[in-house]
Amino acid sequence: MKKLALVLAALIALGGMAFASGGGQSSGGGSSSGQVQIALLMRNIDEQFLKDYSESVRKLAAEKNVALNVQDARSDGATQLTQLQTLLNQGYKYFVIVPCVSELSEQMNQLIQAKGGAAAYSNIQPTVDALKVGKNFFFASSPEFVGGRYQGQLIADYFDKNPGKAPGKAVNMLLILGQLGHPAQVNREAGLLAELKTRGYTVNIIARDTANWTPDQSQQKMDAWIAAYRGKFNVVAAQNDGMALGAVESLIQNGFTKSDSSDGTTLTVPVLGIDATQDAINSMKENKLYATVLQDAVGQSASAFDVVYQIASGTYKAGNAAGGTPAATTPIDEAPANDASIIGQCYLVPFVPVDKNSTYYKTH
Amino acid sequence: MKDTRDLKLKQMMSKYTTFVTFVVLLFVLAVLTRGRALTWDSIKTLIIAEAVRAFASLGVGMIIITKGIDLSIGYVVCLTASVAASFAQIPTYETALYYGHSFPLFMPILMGLVAGGLFGLFNGVLVAYGKLPPFIATLGTMSIARGIQLIYTKAAIVSSLTPKFKAIAQNSFGPSFFQIPYLAVYVVVIAFIVWVLLRHTKQGTNFYAIGGNAQAARVSGINVEKDLVCVYFYAGLLYGCAGVLLASRLALANALTANGMELDAIAAVTVGGVSQNGGVGTVGGMIIGIFTMGLINYGMSFLAIDSYYQYLVKGAIIIVAVFFDMKKYAKRA
Repeated sequence: MKKLALVLAALIALGGMAFASGGGQSSGGGSSSGQVQIALLMRNIDEQFLKDYSESVRKLAAEKNVALNVQDARSDGATQLTQLQTLLNQGYKYFVIVPCVSELSEQMNQLIQAKGGAAAYSNIQPTVDALKVGKNFFFASSPEFVGGRYQGQLIADYFDKNPGKAPGKAVNMLLILGQLGHPAQVNREAGLLAELKTRGYTVNIIARDTANWTPDQSQQKMDAWIAAYRGKFNVVAAQNDGMALGAVESLIQNGFTKSDSSDGTTLTVPVLGIDATQDAINSMKENKLYATVLQDAVGQSASAFDVVYQIASGTYKAGNAAGGTPAATTPIDEAPANDASIIGQCYLVPFVPVDKNSTYYKTH
Repeated sequence: MKDTRDLKLKQMMSKYTTFVTFVVLLFVLAVLTRGRALTWDSIKTLIIAEAVRAFASLGVGMIIITKGIDLSIGYVVCLTASVAASFAQIPTYETALYYGHSFPLFMPILMGLVAGGLFGLFNGVLVAYGKLPPFIATLGTMSIARGIQLIYTKAAIVSSLTPKFKAIAQNSFGPSFFQIPYLAVYVVVIAFIVWVLLRHTKQGTNFYAIGGNAQAARVSGINVEKDLVCVYFYAGLLYGCAGVLLASRLALANALTANGMELDAIAAVTVGGVSQNGGVGTVGGMIIGIFTMGLINYGMSFLAIDSYYQYLVKGAIIIVAVFFDMKKYAKRA
């Protein structure tokens, strides 16, 4: 059994030495080399959007010669809190954070503030109180309600062009949700329904359930719904592209296809997602997925990284633009950017509706 | 004479492998970080991070000693955390589950323990009297716990907890330069209780006997079914404690609280010398196993090892630990 001790020691020693020396990252705490140190705390790295986000931050860090430490919390708030505390002990002061849960952000900011650091949050918004901990805390993300509205707009546009598919302006929807209670789940759904109502459509939710952001769960859910509700729905809205693509596969396997793609899809029922991942764009090019909404992982990560980098390198001034996005000046309806006292700490990266006429689609 | 000394050294190494491993890791980390990873602040972070897992690990450790397993840990802890948090919400919080109701401090603790205990009891009955394989029984209860958590909380985040409840796990005592977290005290107390149970009670001895050979234990007069129900019940109570402490530490609970804790807990006690073959394991080993895994997590974060590679290292360590465990007991057999 003493071999076990040796193997364990060897593993950690090898890993440590490899990354301390060859990984381009400092093993130390402070920035004695003069190199800026930033830590990226991800709630998880299993979703395509979050993979894109973390890869974009890695690229930006490499360009700026920043020592980047990336930690994955596996969606566990306790793990993320421990990772933060560990990095603070190590001397890291500057953080880009995709938090596990909004309500944890205030506690995290208090820990960072005690060390005189700074942080920018994306994807899951920090609370208003969290941003009020100090002027060195930021929100660099996209308002989820607007993302939902754009999805509603794309659906309304589709039925405006194809009124025969929604007689009486009735949208009979299968709605595939992300993780229940997730701010994006709540706000995207609210935005979607509000926009369709504004456009004069009556929404009948034929079925509505979570697939936890994953394509496989979405496909299973759709298989069951098709068995139960065949012929009763005329649109499928998913809250991210992964789940939308799962639904597309299910529809194809269950024969919901046609040869004509003049309405933008070869599926008899249009499917829409959110995120505009490359897989989703590819699916649109194959006339499968009808449309999506760009949640700009690169834009969000650029804003979050840049504002933290500005603080770390001493160039930040209140109101500075970050990563090409201006600091917000007018409060919106969605927290935390609904509070005038911290609006200058918010960078609202716009969502963009993506159908086949959009510039984003044509250039990707 | 030299041979005798070598033999004694080998026996010592074998007996204290877990401890030796922990010390070696500490030493390696100290060298690689030039001592900075072992400041009191760092040690405190490690204790706080692993304290909740320690409760869960001690629970599943006892179960594994009886040759069982429990996959429901993560979701049961999630449920108990949610139940506890719901009774600790500020009554005027507009989305509080019990809006307008103020409960005394013992209520969230009690309700967390009741939820954990009931699930433990259910697991125990399924395994002992239902004769279901523990793997399958707890796989089922894992899903049931998740379902109940989602129904109970309506999938919402249970937050805005009272300062008194948060203080249970967030506060420390002692001079400002040497603050000791309350969590550390709780771990010492619970480890002592489990140690007394396993080493100084007849039931503890029965657990080892059942894990070693259930049939022989039965023949020798042990009520195997009753003791199995008890061990799952005790574990459930420990998960209840873990849930209460986790909700207090985070000041919230949601559907992802304690996500994957079952794997961490099982890995920790395995590294700590609790044999998957049953009948073997000590409280000291379990505690060192928990902090060994914690040290590995902590060390890798401290050394800026990318998350992508951390999975590889942790996976390799678990495989190596189980491999040597199996080899050791195969030799004895």
